Parts: sequence; structure tokens; C-alpha cells
Amino acid sequence: MKTKIIIAALAVLGGLYSGVASAQQTALLADQNPRYRESQAKYARGADSLTSLQGTTIQDTYKAYDWYEAKLERRRQNREWRHQERMNGYFDYAPSWGLYDNYYSPSINFGFGNRWGHGYRGGRSRIGIGFGW
Amino acid sequence: MKFNRILTVAALAASTFFAASCSRQVTRVSTDQTIDVSGNWNNSDSRMAAEELTGKILGAAWIDTHQTEHQGKKPVVIVGFVQNKSHEHIDAETFLKDIESTFIQTQKVRLVQGGKKREELRAEKADQQTNATVSSMKQFGLENGADYILQGSINSIVDSHKRQKVVYYQVNLELTNIQTNEVVWIGEKKIAKYVKN
Repeated sequence: MKTKIIIAALAVLGGLYSGVASAQQTALLADQNPRYRESQAKYARGADSLTSLQGTTIQDTYKAYDWYEAKLERRRQNREWRHQERMNGYFDYAPSWGLYDNYYSPSINFGFGNRWGHGYRGGRSRIGIGFGW
Repeated sequence: MKFNRILTVAALAASTFFAASCSRQVTRVSTDQTIDVSGNWNNSDSRMAAEELTGKILGAAWIDTHQTEHQGKKPVVIVGFVQNKSHEHIDAETFLKDIESTFIQTQKVRLVQGGKKREELRAEKADQQTNATVSSMKQFGLENGADYILQGSINSIVDSHKRQKVVYYQVNLELTNIQTNEVVWIGEKKIAKYVKN
């Protein structure tokens, strides 16, 4: 009987303690939003990633149009393109007369430009007699 | 001998030409000075938009109306987005920051943080819940709610023919009461430019 009374008293005390503790947890400050825990839980999940950039500069830049820089860039690209063409074996820039100009047959060349080593066959057709450049 | 001299002169002339063409001159100018180069939106446009819109928004009746209705409390404003519908890249932040700065300096309007900065603030607060001392930890649910939101748009019209062009920009800002959806103020800045190539 005595044991039962002690157990019951402990249970009552435990209940009171937990009630007080939970009341302390839910006690709101003056004017505090009663749903603040929802926001707290939401931001607690992503806090690490959201605060990881603190003290750094986020580079959110854009490329402004600069007429002069654009002109230089165009020139650079054209130079690169011509270089690539040369590397592909496309040597002649100046207009020239040609006859049977492909890899397998010799070419007769009148005019300017070097016609040796024509391995490039994906460009302009140069078979037959014609004016090519 | 003569050929060598010509060659030297030619080399000197060529080097001078290249040096002159590659050199870049930079001069510091006042930020209040208007320098139009291409006819595009520039710092002067941003400055003029900020000056005019700041004057209009702080001189309008909505502040007094709000204070009368709310026992003298200052209105709290959050800055929303500005939609750029013009033909150019224009960052509204350059003139919006001027307006926000004037809000704080004149102490007529209170500002609250929005967007990504607000996200970072809340994340910092969440971090404090488990890391800061209880006395220094900031609580959730105690932020100042905004009374008004400032939103805007930028539009442009381009009229061009041959070497001539007229560019027209219109910057609109509007302030809306968040509680009632009522638009309490609209301001605009109009800029027109004639460009001849």
C-alpha cells in the first residue's frame, strides 16, 4: 500500500514537472508570433548552407557591351579562324585558277597561293576548271 | 647606308604608332557629371531617377496619412522587385539603394530587409539557437512586419531610322499597402534621348 502511494506521488510530481517544462517552452514573449517555431524549424534545416557565404562576395556580374572590346574580340576570332583553316591545309587565300584540284590528282596552279598538301576535302569543291578562292 | 636609315625611321614610326594605339588613358570624373557616350542607360540616368523618385515619394501624402491612422507610427517599407522590360540591361538597385538610403537618413520611413538578405538573417538566427549564449541569442517571431511594399518596372521605347535614334525610358515605382492591397503612391521618371550616329 505504501509503495503504491509513493508511486502515485512520483507520477503526479513527474506530470507536474513536465507540464511546467512544456509551459516554459511554449511561453511567448510580448508580441511574439505564436507560430515562430515553424519558421525556426524551417531555417534550422538550411542554416548551414545559407550562412556559408557570410563574409564573402557573391559574384553576380554581367558582361557589359564594349564597342572597342567587341571589335578586338572579332579580330581575334577571325585570326583564330584563319589559323584553323591554315592548319587544315587550306592554303590559298588569293583567287587562283585550278585544274583537277583534289587529293588524288595533281593540280595545275596559275596565280597566287600554295597548293601543296591538299588533304582537306570538306570545303569548297575544286574539281574541274574554274575560278576558285 | 641610305636604305638602313629609311629602315630605322620606318621602324621608329611603326613603334610610335603601335605605342599610341595600344595606350589607354583613364581620367577620374565626378559622379555628378553627365557624360553620354553611347546613348545607353548610364549613371546619370540612374542618378536622375533616384533624385526625382526620392523627392516624390518622401513629399507625397501617404506618410502623413499613415501616421494619422497609426498613432504617429512611422510606416515600415519593404522593397520588392523591379521588372526590367526595356531593351537594355538596367540594374534598378543603383537607384533603389539611393532611395532606401534617403529613407533612413530622413528618418521618415523605416525599412525592413527582404529577399536573399532576409533569408541569410533568418538562417543566422537559426544558427544562434544552438550555438549562441542564451543572453545573446535572437528570437524568432519578433521581426517587424512591413506596412508597404515598393515595387516597380522599367520600360523603354526605341524609335530609329538610319543614323538617328530616339530612346525613351520610363521608370515606375509604386507603393502598395500590404494589408489592404491599396496602392498609396505611384511615381515615375521619364527620360528621352536623341542619338545621332
